[in-house]
Amino acid sequence: MGPDISHHPLAGADGSATISSNLYSVLAAVNGPIEVQRRDELPEEAAIEVNIRPASGVGGPRERWLESVVTAVLRSVLLVHMHPRTLIQVTLQLTTGPTLKLKNATRDISVLPSLVNAAFLALVDGGLPLQSTVTAVLLAVSGEEVISIDPAEKELAGCKSVHALAYTQHGDLLLNESAGNFNLEVWEEVADRAEKACVAAVALASEDDEMANGTAEAAPWLRRELEEKARDAVAWRDHT
Amino acid sequence: MAKDASPVPGLAFPRETFAKLTPAPFLHAHLKQAKPVRPSGRAVGDFREPTINIGSLSHSNGSAVVRLGDTAVVCGVRAEILLASDIPSPPKEDLSESQMLENLGLIVPNVELSTGCSPNHLPGNAPGTQAQALSYRLSSLLYSSEMLRPQDLRIEYTTPQTDDDLPDQGPQVVTKAYWTLYIDILCIALDGNAYDAAWIAVIAALQDCKLPKAWWDQDREMVLCSPLASEASKLHLRDVPIPATFAIFSTLSPLKQRSEADHWVMADPDEFEAALCAEMVTMVVRTGAGINDSIVRIEKHGGGMVGRTAMKECFGMALARAKNIRRVLQID
Repeated sequence: MGPDISHHPLAGADGSATISSNLYSVLAAVNGPIEVQRRDELPEEAAIEVNIRPASGVGGPRERWLESVVTAVLRSVLLVHMHPRTLIQVTLQLTTGPTLKLKNATRDISVLPSLVNAAFLALVDGGLPLQSTVTAVLLAVSGEEVISIDPAEKELAGCKSVHALAYTQHGDLLLNESAGNFNLEVWEEVADRAEKACVAAVALASEDDEMANGTAEAAPWLRRELEEKARDAVAWRDHT
Repeated sequence: MAKDASPVPGLAFPRETFAKLTPAPFLHAHLKQAKPVRPSGRAVGDFREPTINIGSLSHSNGSAVVRLGDTAVVCGVRAEILLASDIPSPPKEDLSESQMLENLGLIVPNVELSTGCSPNHLPGNAPGTQAQALSYRLSSLLYSSEMLRPQDLRIEYTTPQTDDDLPDQGPQVVTKAYWTLYIDILCIALDGNAYDAAWIAVIAALQDCKLPKAWWDQDREMVLCSPLASEASKLHLRDVPIPATFAIFSTLSPLKQRSEADHWVMADPDEFEAALCAEMVTMVVRTGAGINDSIVRIEKHGGGMVGRTAMKECFGMALARAKNIRRVLQID
C-alpha cells in the first residue's frame, strides 16, 4: 500500500520524485546546496526556498501560504547547519488534483501531505543530509465521527473536519493543519491514528507482521521505498 | 604599565548588547530561571492585553484599531454591491449557504505589511510572502468558520403578483444583488503575532459594520441605497472563533541528544521571540455561553516539541484567551 512513487524522473535537478496518492500527484525537484542571493543568505544555516505551482494557472496567496508551511517543515527535517550561506531550492509542481468541488479549507489541507511527502522524497533523492525521516498523512472525520486515513474524494466532500499531520520516525509532530469543527477528544484520536500510520510507514516490519495486520495504515511503504533506493544505489558494486 | 589606568572593564554586556549579539542564549537565559520570565517581563503563558477602538474611520462601513503590545493594526470594512446579473457563472441552487459565500468570494480580506511597520518589511514594496500568507489565512478562517450569515449579504426583490401567476403560488423572492465586503487590514506597527491582532481587528470592524438599507428598483433596474443612518443594519456574527498563537523555543540542536533538549511554550510571541522559534502553533477555538468548546482550526508547523500533551495545554490557554477576548469585544 501507499502512494505510487517514482524516483529521479528529472535529469537536470539534483533530486526529484513524483508521488501520486488517490487525490493528488506532485512532481518535486530539489536543487542544493546552491549559491544564495545576498538578501536571503543566513550566516549559520542554509536558506530554504519552496516554490509551489498549481496544476493550472499561476500561484497566488494560497500557494505563498502553502510554501511557508512546507518551508517550516523542511527546516526541521534538513540538517541546515551543515551548509551555511547556501540555498536549498525545492520546487513542487502539482500535476493532478481532485475533481469534485471541495471547500477551500478542505482542499488546502488535503494537498499538504502530498507536498510534504514529495518534497521529502526529492530531498532523499538529492542526497541532502537529513536529521529525520518524515511522513505526512491526511485524515478526515465524518459527521458520525468516523476517522478515515487517506480519505477518498467523496469522504472529503462530506467530512466534518480534515487534518493533515506529519510525524518523524521518533513520533515528533512536525506539521498539523486541521480545519472544521471538532473537539479535543476527536483531535487526540486523530493524532493517535496519524502517529501510528506515520511511524508504521518507516517501521521495521517483517513479512509476518504485515500479513497479520495487513491494513493500509500499517504498511511500511516509505521504508520499502527507501530501502529499494539504497539497494539500487550500491548495485554497481555487485557488477564490478 | 601606567598605574593610573582605569580598571579593566568586566566582561559583562549591557542587556541590549547581549540581546543583539546572541539572541538565542539571551532568551534561553531568561527562560531557564526557576520561574521563567520572558525578556518583555511577561510570564510564558501571558498574552498581551488588546486595546480596541472602533469606528475611527468615518468613510468605511466599519472599522477598528487594535493594539496588542507593540503590534498595532487598523482594519476597515468597505461594502460594495455585486449585481447578480454581473456574475459570470451564478452558483447552482443546490449549493449550501456557506459555500455560496465562498463561491462568489463575497468576503475579500487583504493585509498590508509594507507600511514601514517593521524593518523586515520595506515600505512601498509589493506584498511579500508573509503578507500574502496572512491574507490567505484570514480569508480561509472567515469562510470556514461560517461566521457571516449569507442572508445578511443578500439584496432581495419580491416580484409582484401578476394575473398570469397561479393564484396559489406565493410571491417569488429573487436575489438581485449581493454585498461584497472588502476588509483591508493595515499593520502600522509589527511586533509579532500579526495574525491574532489582525483577526481581533477584523471581528471588531465587522461588529461595527453597518450596511445601508438597499433595495432593487424595478423601474430603474438598479439597486438603490438609503442615505439614512437609522435604516442601516448591523451584521450579525455567529459563534465568533478566537485564535491564540504560541511560539515554542527549544534548545534542540542537531549537535545534541534529543532527550537533553528543553522547550518552553510562549503565548502571544513578540517579534524577537518569534524570530528565534522554529515552531509555531495557532489554535482557533470557539467558546462562550451556549456554545460547546470546540476547535475550528489548528495550524502548527516546524519543530516537533509540541505533542499531544502540549497541545492540550495550548487548548486550555486558547480557551481562556478566547473568553477574555470575547469579553473585551463585548460578545458575551
